[in-house]
Amino acid sequence: MLTTTRTLSRTLALGAALVLIVSACGAAATPKPSAATGGTADPALVTAAKAEGGLTTIALPNAGWCDYQKLMDGFTAKYGIPISDLNPDGSSQQEVDAIKANKDNKGPQAPDVIDVGLGFGPTAIADGILAPYKVLTWDSIPDAAKNADGYWYGDYYGVLSFETNTDVVKNVPADWADLLKPEYKGQVALSGNPVKSNQAISGVWAAALASGGSADNVQPGLDFFKKLNDAGNYVPVIAGQATVVAGETPIRITWTYNGLGDKDAQAGKTNITVAVPTSGRFGGMYIQAISAFAPHPNAAKLWMEYIYSDEGQNIWLGGYCNPIRYDAMAKAGTLDPTAKAKMPDTTGAFLPTLDQITKATTAIAAGWPTTVGVVVPDK
Amino acid sequence: MSRTADPFSARAAQRARPGRSRNLLPLLGLVPFFVFTSMFLLIPAAKLIIGSFQDSAGQFTLANYEDMTSKIVVNAYATSIEISIVTAIGAAIFGFLLAYAVISGGLPKPVRAAVMTFSGVASNFAGIPLALAFIFTLGRVGLLTVFLRGIGIDPYKAGFNLYSKIGLEIVYFYFQLPLMVLIIAPAIDGLKREWREAAENLGASSFQFWRHVALPVLMPSLLGAIMLLFGNSFGAQATAYQLTGGLINLVTLLVGDQLSGDVLHSPGKGMALAVGMIVVMAVALAGYALLQRRAERWRR
Amino acid sequence: MSRTFRVFWWLVFIVGAGYFFLPLIGTLAFSLRDKPITAAYTGLLENKQFLSTLLYSTTIGLATIVVSTALVVPTAFWVRLKMPRIRPIVEFITLLPFMVPPVVLVFGLISTYSRPPLPLTGSNTGSDVLLVAAYVVLSLPYMYRAADTGLSAIDVRALTEAAQSLGAGWPTILLRVILPNVRVAVLSGAFLTLAIVIGEFTIAIFLARPAFAPFLGLLGDKDPFQQSAVALVSFGLTWVAMIIISLLGRGSQTRITVGGAR
Repeated sequence: MLTTTRTLSRTLALGAALVLIVSACGAAATPKPSAATGGTADPALVTAAKAEGGLTTIALPNAGWCDYQKLMDGFTAKYGIPISDLNPDGSSQQEVDAIKANKDNKGPQAPDVIDVGLGFGPTAIADGILAPYKVLTWDSIPDAAKNADGYWYGDYYGVLSFETNTDVVKNVPADWADLLKPEYKGQVALSGNPVKSNQAISGVWAAALASGGSADNVQPGLDFFKKLNDAGNYVPVIAGQATVVAGETPIRITWTYNGLGDKDAQAGKTNITVAVPTSGRFGGMYIQAISAFAPHPNAAKLWMEYIYSDEGQNIWLGGYCNPIRYDAMAKAGTLDPTAKAKMPDTTGAFLPTLDQITKATTAIAAGWPTTVGVVVPDK
Repeated sequence: MSRTADPFSARAAQRARPGRSRNLLPLLGLVPFFVFTSMFLLIPAAKLIIGSFQDSAGQFTLANYEDMTSKIVVNAYATSIEISIVTAIGAAIFGFLLAYAVISGGLPKPVRAAVMTFSGVASNFAGIPLALAFIFTLGRVGLLTVFLRGIGIDPYKAGFNLYSKIGLEIVYFYFQLPLMVLIIAPAIDGLKREWREAAENLGASSFQFWRHVALPVLMPSLLGAIMLLFGNSFGAQATAYQLTGGLINLVTLLVGDQLSGDVLHSPGKGMALAVGMIVVMAVALAGYALLQRRAERWRR
Repeated sequence: MSRTFRVFWWLVFIVGAGYFFLPLIGTLAFSLRDKPITAAYTGLLENKQFLSTLLYSTTIGLATIVVSTALVVPTAFWVRLKMPRIRPIVEFITLLPFMVPPVVLVFGLISTYSRPPLPLTGSNTGSDVLLVAAYVVLSLPYMYRAADTGLSAIDVRALTEAAQSLGAGWPTILLRVILPNVRVAVLSGAFLTLAIVIGEFTIAIFLARPAFAPFLGLLGDKDPFQQSAVALVSFGLTWVAMIIISLLGRGSQTRITVGGAR
């Protein structure tokens, strides 16, 4: 759809100069408002969204996880549109299935917008369940992080880290190889099942990168976890804040934003340190999309505008997530400095492409039961 | 306690025999059940079966069943069936003992009400809260583990591991046992009233009473309870998910990987696995029906 | 009853009680690790959603019990009395809910009942109806097994024919002859059903209903101490609810016996 793109320079200042830009070429084919007021949404859209009276989201965690709750509260406070969130701990597959099941339903069970793993973008388009939309700040989203036609767009990413309960573990592990040390016996756990959970599979992949593997060769990661399990260091439990605090899984492999969120939640109660490994830095990206059957299509669009505005992106930054417009905002100087200062150093993080994700996740999901698990491999 | 050689049933049998129309009329009594289950159970189940034969574009395919013979899938079914049998029979035995203890064991009456109601709550205490409860108690740094270590016994050094098949079975007992207690209670209740005294009056020993009276009478109910326990365990998922971390292979987990995952894109495969579960249950039910017929004969 | 036997039964009870209470104590110990020590529980009292969701789920639970009993007990009775050969089919159907994953059930129900002729999902009441229907389905295996076990302990045929010879119609037979005699069984089924409803998560959350289990699940991310506290408190409250139900069910002790000493 980007036939002739003019480079637009806009100052997304919070309430300063108003610059009216009219984007021509190709605008007829893309469903987006024509007039843009720097940083604030088209008033016609706001009115239409308010008239719809609500927004239904799905699988948006209500605690920790990029401070999503603050984002939702901010949206409601700004536009007076209440948000109802289905299954905050839902999986990407459930989100897609929810759209499909609710095709004919305009009730509160039908999600308007979804936030899923990158790999779900293409299949969702193929299933015909997404509606394209390009937010006002579309151009400052990196090309590699969005679908050219506007069907989906990256929202944030985080890096895998070691969330460590320092009341139990005195030496915080600095890198993947450290996890194999005998002092961590019975202490290391993943945050999900490596055949089901994006976080867990990413953990195996990251271990691969740190152990001589690459984007296309994930076997070293599987071998790493086999070693970890054989050494007795791996605890086969789904680790969460409760198990970290209890000391059952004092080292949890999880996204930086989860670890830091737990740290804040446990301030004054349990001492938690989040260490980004020196090698094998793995970034995982999630994407946003609007349902083709959304009961509140305008509220959905307004929600996207809010997320991708400076205000929204900064809330994510405050929740320790790297917002997708980070580079553009850094250049424009619109990043929230306090939030920016609290972010851990994640330079050099590897962000896989769609193809790499598909190949690697299949390989890990297939390889885990036979390499690390108890199943004897097929011949 | 049904008796065949009584005049009532003979007359009823006579009435029921003539004409096909009379044989079909009784079906009317089951109409509410069939209507309700059709609307709210059979339709979703049908969607499940149909979905297992569809690919992502909705076209008919058998591809979802291709993996059914792979080692991973076979191992998953085997493990699930094994754990279900162990927890079903184990819970049947201990649940029966516990139920009998509070009903006929001479314990004070309030104990029975307390155990029955507690069983009600515990029967559905599963998933994350149950997993966490056992982690807090029997995990590597659990309350009981630490206590035992303090008095010189380290269960983990001795080979125990909560995160193993045996550990999972121990956790499963938490909802299997109460289920058994609740289900078998009415049968034990019906048992104690006249049989025991009659047997004692006739001079039978406890062993004889159990072998010739109690067990035959209870067998159909016991079989039914075991079948229920098997199904309950076979279909359990949430607790196992928390406690296995990818090292124990269960069918319900495989189904969840496909249907509720973040990374795989084959819900059809998940549905195929669930259809496989239905087949397993059907086979188990057939076996149970055979045993049930023999048990009914033994009763008479 | 001999003394050794009584000791044995006491032992069984104590071992059982120990097994069941230890994990609860472990949960309690964890919930008290909060700073200050009772923060988890005071926070709970201030959480308005705790009572509202618990009340909602309990109400739905009671509705489910009524519908399920009304559906299953007559069915189990009828199968026993008139159509024993159809029993395996009925039992298979009642065991199906174990095999259908909750997400498949809820999405199947939503896609079927979000359009004419029965668009239930469009309204709150409709969604509540759908929720109760889904829960009746979930309770089928337990209710049926409980009812069947209860019926196997009485002489169904004799009772029915005696009542019929006294001129009773089917509703009277069911309500005043059969039901009181399977009281223990129905109570068991009711307990199991209530526990299922209060603990059920997936269906409630995708039907967007304000139920208790979703509320409990969400706490875990926010505050693990409060989550443990809520698990314990809800355990206790559900137990109290069941004690109340069992006391109410104890009400009329009319039992009709036929054919000599019982």
